[in-house]
Amino acid sequence: MTLAQRGRWVTLVGLILLAGVYVRALAFTPTEATQGLAQKIYYIHVPAAVWAEMSMIFIGLASVFFLFLKDPRLDRFAEASAQVGVIFALVVLTTGPIWGKPIWGTWWTWDARLTLTLLLFFIYLGYLVLRGAITDPGLRARYAAVIGICGLVLVPFIHFSVLMFRTLHPQPIVLKPSAPSLPGVMLVTLLFSFGVFTILYIGFVMQTYAIAVANETQVDG
Amino acid sequence: MADGVASLLALDVPQNGGYMVAAYIVAAVILAGYALSLYRRSRNR
Repeated sequence: MTLAQRGRWVTLVGLILLAGVYVRALAFTPTEATQGLAQKIYYIHVPAAVWAEMSMIFIGLASVFFLFLKDPRLDRFAEASAQVGVIFALVVLTTGPIWGKPIWGTWWTWDARLTLTLLLFFIYLGYLVLRGAITDPGLRARYAAVIGICGLVLVPFIHFSVLMFRTLHPQPIVLKPSAPSLPGVMLVTLLFSFGVFTILYIGFVMQTYAIAVANETQVDG
Repeated sequence: MADGVASLLALDVPQNGGYMVAAYIVAAVILAGYALSLYRRSRNR
């Protein structure tokens, strides 16, 4: 079985389990009293946000190692991770405003967390556009690595922006030094969803990596 | 009496399920659409 085929199966499992997340969130997780059903957006918004940031962390780390080791597999992985990260960032930037409208009364505000997440999305787009614009593989990999490292530097600012600035966006209730301030049943649903998004990330990256390898083989042939 | 209290509490919970449905559909469409595009890209080569 090829890498692309394995990636397809992993993705299929991830999508089926995503339906399971929806069922668990709707039928087996209580409705939050003050926010109502809109709070259940949390179970897809947060895992997508974590993986949008994790993808950029992986790109940045792969880029740093690429600059030292010059291993093309690292550059290929960074490209695959960027293509997947931009999809997760898109999920964050669409589900966030849909959640914000009934709770904050507005689709969007230029709050630190929201603005930095939008910047992350633009860094992903810039990274992918740059890769598409440069034909020389060595130059493309080096320039892309620089953008990847800039993206890596941005991620901690996104996470800590809610602590550094006065923001409308709530502070972390799970990823914080103290114990999660979330009822157990809600935490289980969140962790289940996080696991499903992890499977989707792996499946997507396996496929995009395989496509990149196939493209290079075509060009070389 | 208990029914009355329960209905009052139910009224206090915001009725915003439509936003949740919209967000769930948008996320599913983005993720399934991307999976489909990857499937087509890898099958076409």
